[in-house]
Amino acid sequence: MPSFINRREFLYRTGGGLSGVALSSLLQAENPYAAKAPHFAPRAKAVISLFMSGGVSQVDTFDRKPMLDKYAGQPMTGKGDIVVRQGHPGPLMPSPFTWKRHGQSGLEISELFPQVATHADQLAVIRSVWGKSNDHVQAHYELASGVIRMGYPSMGSWLTYGLGTENQSLPAFVVIYDARGGPFGGPANWTAGYMPAAYQGTVLRSAGDPIVDLHPPAGMSREEQKSRLALLDQLNRLDLERNPGNSELAARISAYELAYRMQGAAPEAVDVNRESEATKKVYGFDDPVTEPFGRQCLMARRLVERGVRFVQLYHGGLGNQNTDTWDAHEDVRSNHFKHAAEVDRPIAGLLKDLESHGLLDSTLVVWHGEFGRMPISQRGLGRDHNPGTMSMWMAGAKVKGGQTIGESDEFGYKAAVQPISVNDLHATILHLTGLDHKRLTYRFQGRDMRLTDVAGELIPQIVA
Amino acid sequence: MTRCIALLLALALRVGAQPVSFDSAIKPVLETTCLKCHGAQAMAGLDLRSREAALKVITPGQAESSRLYKVVAGIEKPAMPMGGTLTAAEIDSIRRWINEGAAWGAITAPVAEKPWTYRRPVAKPGGSIDEFIDAQLTQKGLKVAPKADHQTLIRRIALDLTGLPPEASDFALTYEQAVRKYLASPHYGERWGRHWLDVARYADSNGYEHDFNRPNAWRYRDYVIQAFNSNKPFDRFLHEQIAGDELEPATPETLIATGFLRSYAKVGFREKDNPEFRGEYIDDMIATLGRGVMGLTIQCARCHNHKFDPIAKADYERIKSILWGYVEVDHPLVPAEQAERWRAANDQVDQQLKAVRFELATLEKPYKDQLMPAKLAKFPKHILDAVAVPEEKRTPGQVLLANQVLRTTNVSSAEAAKIMPAAQLAARQQLLDRIAKIEAQRPAPIPVAMGITDGDFRFTPDGPGDEPAPGKGIQRAAMEGSFLHRGAGRYLVPPGEDVPPGFPLALVSKQAPFELPPSHGHTSGRRRALAEWLTSPEHPLTARVFVNRIWHHHFGRGIVASLDNFGKMGEAPTHPELLDWLAVRFVESGWDVKKLHRMILLSDAYQRSSGFDDAGNQMKDAANDYLWRFRAQRLEAEVVRDQILAAAGSLSRALGGPAVFPPLPPESLAQMKNGIWEKQEDGPATWRRSVYVYRKRGLPFPLFEVFDLPDQNITCNRRNTTTVPTQALTLLNNDFVLKQASRLAARISEQTMDPARRVELVYQATVARAPRPTERELALKYLATGELAGLAHVLFNTSEFLYLR
Repeated sequence: MPSFINRREFLYRTGGGLSGVALSSLLQAENPYAAKAPHFAPRAKAVISLFMSGGVSQVDTFDRKPMLDKYAGQPMTGKGDIVVRQGHPGPLMPSPFTWKRHGQSGLEISELFPQVATHADQLAVIRSVWGKSNDHVQAHYELASGVIRMGYPSMGSWLTYGLGTENQSLPAFVVIYDARGGPFGGPANWTAGYMPAAYQGTVLRSAGDPIVDLHPPAGMSREEQKSRLALLDQLNRLDLERNPGNSELAARISAYELAYRMQGAAPEAVDVNRESEATKKVYGFDDPVTEPFGRQCLMARRLVERGVRFVQLYHGGLGNQNTDTWDAHEDVRSNHFKHAAEVDRPIAGLLKDLESHGLLDSTLVVWHGEFGRMPISQRGLGRDHNPGTMSMWMAGAKVKGGQTIGESDEFGYKAAVQPISVNDLHATILHLTGLDHKRLTYRFQGRDMRLTDVAGELIPQIVA
Repeated sequence: MTRCIALLLALALRVGAQPVSFDSAIKPVLETTCLKCHGAQAMAGLDLRSREAALKVITPGQAESSRLYKVVAGIEKPAMPMGGTLTAAEIDSIRRWINEGAAWGAITAPVAEKPWTYRRPVAKPGGSIDEFIDAQLTQKGLKVAPKADHQTLIRRIALDLTGLPPEASDFALTYEQAVRKYLASPHYGERWGRHWLDVARYADSNGYEHDFNRPNAWRYRDYVIQAFNSNKPFDRFLHEQIAGDELEPATPETLIATGFLRSYAKVGFREKDNPEFRGEYIDDMIATLGRGVMGLTIQCARCHNHKFDPIAKADYERIKSILWGYVEVDHPLVPAEQAERWRAANDQVDQQLKAVRFELATLEKPYKDQLMPAKLAKFPKHILDAVAVPEEKRTPGQVLLANQVLRTTNVSSAEAAKIMPAAQLAARQQLLDRIAKIEAQRPAPIPVAMGITDGDFRFTPDGPGDEPAPGKGIQRAAMEGSFLHRGAGRYLVPPGEDVPPGFPLALVSKQAPFELPPSHGHTSGRRRALAEWLTSPEHPLTARVFVNRIWHHHFGRGIVASLDNFGKMGEAPTHPELLDWLAVRFVESGWDVKKLHRMILLSDAYQRSSGFDDAGNQMKDAANDYLWRFRAQRLEAEVVRDQILAAAGSLSRALGGPAVFPPLPPESLAQMKNGIWEKQEDGPATWRRSVYVYRKRGLPFPLFEVFDLPDQNITCNRRNTTTVPTQALTLLNNDFVLKQASRLAARISEQTMDPARRVELVYQATVARAPRPTERELALKYLATGELAGLAHVLFNTSEFLYLR
């Protein structure tokens, strides 16, 4: 365990003409991560997004449609032209899964999520979220940034920009993706777009050094690094004295101090081995099927605990799109059984563990994909993409559980009652973190840009 | 309350039935409300200062059919005035006044002049940059920094002009000689071309899901570098990039230049299924031209009139109409006859293949049919049932199922081969051999440039990635009807919406043609007309925006700090007269870019010290807007890397050509599914200048990204500069950085054994100066136990190394 130098000590010990206090006051103005006051009292200090990449079928998970049984095998009529992503439209297909009511609320959940179902009374299920694209990548970008085009800041960037972070030793916006590979659309999902790059997401790896270039390569001792840092600090301070009144130079000195602290803090933050066996078991570490996503979820809890604002987890990665993501074109039954089994225990474990750490009330957990799937079949067994409606849920941050919000139509094809756009979703999430989506603006192209562009309504049942 | 009274008054007036007085009832409304936009600015082409012009929206005697009345009464959109409404009494007065014949009087109130943005720049003869700067400094009572020392100045201009540190011998040059040398260096274009490539949102891949490679994009990158190196006049530079295919003569160079408009991020897959993408691409072109060339956010007027600037939605539509006819094309870069020969030979191969492939398919068909049932067997019973039912007896649901399955299930040729009898198998092999033989005759591809021209996009290819084959994408036969401007047959434009081309009215002072069709008749000439208009001396913005861009890159801040927004929401110029003076001189010089550099670099303002400070100045102008000292600037990502390579003696100074792929860590590669990152060893082949490193839209090069590489998918005019710990981690721990530090150390170790001399050389190589006594002492102390590579590494991390001063 490396010895930590605390901030004040570091500033004094390394000497130079400027006192630590004067230096740190110079820094506030330059630090893009300085904690900022929210617009109003937040309900959530942190957000964890559980992104089920590839597209989860709503009618097989959280939105039961008896009409699919009734009209099984018949064409879906009265809905206008049906646009599928692949091939040709098929007939209506019932859900191959069994359903049960759960908890006091009687929330109906399919057999895919037996463990998550035990938290039914904590889930606010939204059944009417619609998106703008039936292509994975554009739909991912929309969920990330509200825009289907590339180049716009993601929600995590907006949160970091709006709130900064309390913990300067860790990035504020963290991305942990599936061990099988990155999600559709890659790093553009966590871009800061037109904002300074400082606000983009930082990828943390679940094995090895969590951040690329966090530590010196093998062959350089800790002592050697320290002596280089000490020399650097002295030279930079001499330089600062010769170039007075330049806060950027002070910020650069501080950046090295932070980097040094990150070298200790980041590995510690994601070191799940510091957890008890019992805790690991809650996340499914005892089963190779659940262990990978369990690891991601446990890292998320540790990060939130340490003040990280936004943790973006992806489940489903681009090794083989058909088998490694939720993209169930071939066979929804086998695909969703496989992937639900990978995430069900970890997610339930996360909710339980957040609760037992007293973090659930101040952490918003959002479970979603990039779009829903078709109520009609693709070649008898699969389901094609459907941005018309998807089901998602929120938990924590004192959001009322056991409720359903919005409705899709009788077949689960399109949002019907209280349609909710991604802009609405973003407005609501920002609201829970204490930010008014209309006031959180960034000047670009002479315009005060917003995450929600010119739209976005709060979801009343969530913010109530 | 006031409104109620007004309403009552209006009613009372009506009872009285007095005719409405222009002077007392109408003129005040016009002057206080309407003329702000519909006066001299003539927003949306409407000027309400004279009756004659106002008759465009007034039919005397018929208020109900007069547009003026309808928009103020909210009957028609957009409701006027913007952001408010008239009182009921005012609306009623207007109605009655029109019905009474719309008598006019004199508009007497002084009408606000157009804002400076829309007036062409003017400047008196004579003058100099320093006169303007010094006048402001004196007026503001700011103390002026002394001139920087020679050493500092040489490093400053070397980095500023070439992005590389000075060579040891450069310090013997006078400042003027050094300016001349660096402006003439081929590395000047690599540095200043890179600035323009930000504007052009240049990348080597498509972006989005597939992020396909753009194998010929680099030709445009090299064109830009070459344009700066050859000091191509800026007006010509714009002409070529906007309308290189419409120029006479069009040359390979001008065709390559059209890559400017083609450099948008593109989905590149199933484009035909998603025609709305095309609207997005044109929008991106408009954003790029608007922000990058005109300094205006024209794309804000896509859905509604601009909220702050006099740009109407109709202005947007008119510009869109200029670009509407574009198609993507890979321009052949060989003489036309040669391209034709290539095409003919290629077509011939295709023709021959077609016949043989048909034979092959016929031969294989019975065996494929034989295997089909087994292929279908994997499907569940209800599908097999649906397929088994005779077509006419299937239920509607079975029709869908059978359709889905039968149309998407295929038996491959190889599968069929497995069950073929020997004789057929031999026949098949013969056919395959013939195919291979014909394929071998396919002519080698000709070099092409990735650009645009006019055509009919419905006829552009639709292959994987939709990328056009050389010369394809132009369907001459269909073109007559497909240009938006060619009368009947305009397609995809709903009736009444075929907007004629035009320029934003607020910027037009003299009528200019909207079309300059070239004699070859293959394009509409609209883009050429746009380029001509942009570079006419009448244009209020093109020259200002460009000189401001150059100024920004030299001083770290533009005279207008918002490089891409000279409108109301942009930042006001700190030195408006200087801006105009520079713009006028620039146009007078024939848009001579190097002359502009020289003028700026030889000014006193540019040569001031950056280390000077003064408490009084800090109070008055902490941001140094008035240039009392030189602004130290964090070097850009590319310069940081290039400087490391140069200091280490590793830099390959080869110019141009296809992109290089410095190795990426496996973690980075794991994030990406599609597209290429060629495997190249870390070594001289990849130690090229950063402008040649492959730009992948989906995966920004990590070393650049951490140093504020802008998002490559939209036009970028001013990069952000941040100071974050990940920059420190990269410079401290990245393999590349450490390896180059070792190389620098090795290079110096060969030269001398003397520690003091070594320290000297490390300082010269990295920060282009000798160490000061304290620094030497600290360095020697470090070297007592540490390695020379460690010292070099520390120097790579110093603020001084990372800043232009």
